[in-house]
Amino acid sequence: MSALPRKPTRKTAKRRSRGGGGRPRLRWWIKSAALAVGSVGFVAGFVFAGYVVRLDRLVRERFEGQRFRVPSRVYSAPSILYPGLDWKLVDLEGTLLRLGYRKVAATGELEPGRYLWSPSRLRVQLRPFDHPSRPEPARDVVFVLRGSQIDEIRELPAGHELGAVLLEPEPIGAYYGPDREQRELVWVDEVPRHLVDAILAVEDQRFESHHGIDPRRIAGAMLANLRAGRVAQGGSTLTQQLVKNFFLTPERTVRRKVQEGVMALLVEARYDKREILQAYLNEIYFGQRGATAVHGVGEASRLYFGKNAANLSVAESALLAAIIQSPNGKSPYRDPERAVERRNMVLELMHRQGRISEAALQRSRQEPLRLAAVTPDSGDARYFLDLLQRQLASSYSSEVLETEGLRIYSTLDRRAQRIAADALREGIEDLEKLYPRLRTEDPRRSLQGCIVALRPQTGEVIALVGGRDYAVTQFDRCSQARRQTGSVFKPFVYIAALEPRSGVPHATLASFVDDSPLEVRTPSGPWRPVNFDHKFHGRVPLREALERSYNTATARLAQDVGIDRVIDVAKRMGISSDLPPVPSLALGTAIVSPLEVARAYATLASGGVRPEVQAAEDLVNEEGEILQRRRLRFERVLDPGTAFLATSLLQGVADHGTAAGLRAGGLRGPIAAKTGTTTSEYDLWLVGYTPELVAVVWLGFDEPRSLGVPSSRGALPIWRRFVKDLTGGEIRGAFRPPPGVETADIDPRSGALATWGCPERRSEFFLAGTQPTVTCPTGSVVGRRRDPADKESVERGFLEWLRRHL
Amino acid sequence: MSGIPIGPLLALVAMVSLWSGCALRVAPPPGRPAPSLHVSDATLEGDATRRASLRLVLQGLDEDDDGRAAAARSSYERAIQIDATNPYAYLALARHEVDAQRWNRALEALDQAELLFGSDAPAGVEAHISGLRGAARLGKGYGDDAEVLLDRATRIAPEVWSDGHLSADELR
Repeated sequence: MSALPRKPTRKTAKRRSRGGGGRPRLRWWIKSAALAVGSVGFVAGFVFAGYVVRLDRLVRERFEGQRFRVPSRVYSAPSILYPGLDWKLVDLEGTLLRLGYRKVAATGELEPGRYLWSPSRLRVQLRPFDHPSRPEPARDVVFVLRGSQIDEIRELPAGHELGAVLLEPEPIGAYYGPDREQRELVWVDEVPRHLVDAILAVEDQRFESHHGIDPRRIAGAMLANLRAGRVAQGGSTLTQQLVKNFFLTPERTVRRKVQEGVMALLVEARYDKREILQAYLNEIYFGQRGATAVHGVGEASRLYFGKNAANLSVAESALLAAIIQSPNGKSPYRDPERAVERRNMVLELMHRQGRISEAALQRSRQEPLRLAAVTPDSGDARYFLDLLQRQLASSYSSEVLETEGLRIYSTLDRRAQRIAADALREGIEDLEKLYPRLRTEDPRRSLQGCIVALRPQTGEVIALVGGRDYAVTQFDRCSQARRQTGSVFKPFVYIAALEPRSGVPHATLASFVDDSPLEVRTPSGPWRPVNFDHKFHGRVPLREALERSYNTATARLAQDVGIDRVIDVAKRMGISSDLPPVPSLALGTAIVSPLEVARAYATLASGGVRPEVQAAEDLVNEEGEILQRRRLRFERVLDPGTAFLATSLLQGVADHGTAAGLRAGGLRGPIAAKTGTTTSEYDLWLVGYTPELVAVVWLGFDEPRSLGVPSSRGALPIWRRFVKDLTGGEIRGAFRPPPGVETADIDPRSGALATWGCPERRSEFFLAGTQPTVTCPTGSVVGRRRDPADKESVERGFLEWLRRHL
Repeated sequence: MSGIPIGPLLALVAMVSLWSGCALRVAPPPGRPAPSLHVSDATLEGDATRRASLRLVLQGLDEDDDGRAAAARSSYERAIQIDATNPYAYLALARHEVDAQRWNRALEALDQAELLFGSDAPAGVEAHISGLRGAARLGKGYGDDAEVLLDRATRIAPEVWSDGHLSADELR
């Protein structure tokens, strides 16, 4: 008998398949099902792998590319404090508060960033700042005060006297991208360990050991949520939170949660804990400051404590950790007592987890809550920020400014800016109260104005307010608007007349000009200028013609000198707009920007040297390298003598001409100024300068319409308020005649050189060799161009005088 | 005696007196040695702002002397920030720029300094302005012109300009 299986016959095979032979069929099904599942699994696995690969690429792109968009931050020029400075005038305490310094009550509480004010003494522990070309160390400084003045400055503990102290530049704004996120990047090695501990204690205590997901935390959270019957606790690790903030939307769906988990695992697989922690510290959201979102512990330290994250105490670190969960709802500004409670809970947690000692816990619990002063968003500098951005545009695109975290040190004088903004706002409001017809219901159509102030010697913009309200309209009337200048243009005519050509000027300050009716032929018909008072004044001294702003005299002078020369002077001095060579140009019919006018007048204030308008000092990248250093640029475009004569003329305008109202406000010291009111009073101007400052005020409607007010009532009071508040009413310095300018006594009625016996005389400035040659009272001629025929009469007169007096 | 014309004689005497009086007020001719100008001599001049500005100029000169050029430049700029009319700040800046071989910037700063010193410049200013201008022009390649200026500086302040260079310490 063979044990070998028999080959099944067709019959037996049939029988098997019918009865107990169902097993092969099942096997077939199982095989098919397994194949199908395997195929689906394979496809799913393939798809999932693709999905993971895609997520992995996303993770790598974000971590290995530019992780954060860091807006470039703009700072003001630093405040400089020195003996003799009026600390009340410069609002020293306000400046310290804006910089985030905190007042303390006892010496023991002093530490960097705090000050103690006692009668006649101010002790400040100045924080260091790391300006690349001028790093300032942390200093313990005492200001000895006498009245409103700083009497002396001493550095402790040595007690040696300091000549000047720089305060750190104030942040005045930043260039945000569309997300309006503000952050200050920190490095994990630079932040104190207790800050990291506080965050880990609250947010992820097993961060060091898990692989992106913490099952124990998830289980604990589920349990807590079940008990509470709502979502009371999150189970996300710090890595998951980072992934959510970096890549995902805040929606709560299973799909998003899975994605978050996978990405967290990928992040942990690819990067070490230190890198993940650093990303988290810079990404975590800490609430809103105005319209901008505060991200990262660096920025949060500035916002809440006015200090660098490296200097945070244990208690301050615990407070930051306490508000991560709900930064706006748990803001310490909103409810300080509750904030302290939450902070103390974090401290307890840190202690329980062995992250701080018992002593540290007790000490930190006692620490009072000291928050940085809340300062309003620097909205008043936003027009300046726009100007700065336009100036930088040739080298730095908006994208760069919005993402690369540059530090831009600007020329803005924070105090001057604030005063300018107040002066403009209050000045326009006063004008609207005085003339209610100027008011409009629609703020976009309201009376507008601008004010810009430069340091004439360097062209640095120290203040710029381009309109009444940046929120309503961002159009900068100082640098973007082109308006008729009116009489503000006239000095260019007089400068063209005073400037020697081939050694001989067309006029001197002793000259007379003709203010009689004038008709000039033009292609569009005869042009007949008239005066503001609709009168003609005949032959008038050159000084009076400008001081009274006579149109006819000025138009005639421009005709005599030549419009091309006038244009040449204006262009050289800094007017870059197109100036059409028409007779009416002399009276200011060309359209130019207030900033151009400021630059041109700055040329006069700095003795004929035209400055380059500058809003930025230095640009520094995130690594602290200087990318751009400002250069002081000076270009001589007028001889100093001519510039001085023009200044002298404009001093007359301020002292007893159309701008005499400046003195009425109690401003003392040297001022040169010119008013300007255009046809139908569409534009009101006041341009004025002192030896250290040039400022332009313009008022008008964006869609020109008559104000019905002269500039002496509109623009002048704003200029006066600005300069008075800035200087305290006492303007320092003097306009000094340069070499080559001489004085001579003249007869004001004739312009002749006053000799003995002349009934009236006054001193006048002349370029050397241009003094009058005709004398008063004899009417004879002296000087270089003396006519020999008159020589005898001069000598006769002199001998006669000698006989009388000897 | 009666034949002597007293009027013309008196006139002559008066004219000579007047002329000599005027002559006394004329500045010494170029080339006459004058005391060298030091910024430290001026630190008591002017108001508090000017004095603080001058202290920053001195600080900058010390920094230049120590080879800390960036800090020095910043000090001069701060000196100008608080007193833009301080001629010493521009003079020190011009010296700094000459050392850095930025000739155009040096000449521009010198223009400002000269203008701000005005006609009542202290003795010694002329030597430094002339010497620095000469050094800058020499650097730019205007040899003949530069030599004249440097010679002039050497004649006025030989103790400083005999080597054709003004150090930070010498200006301090």
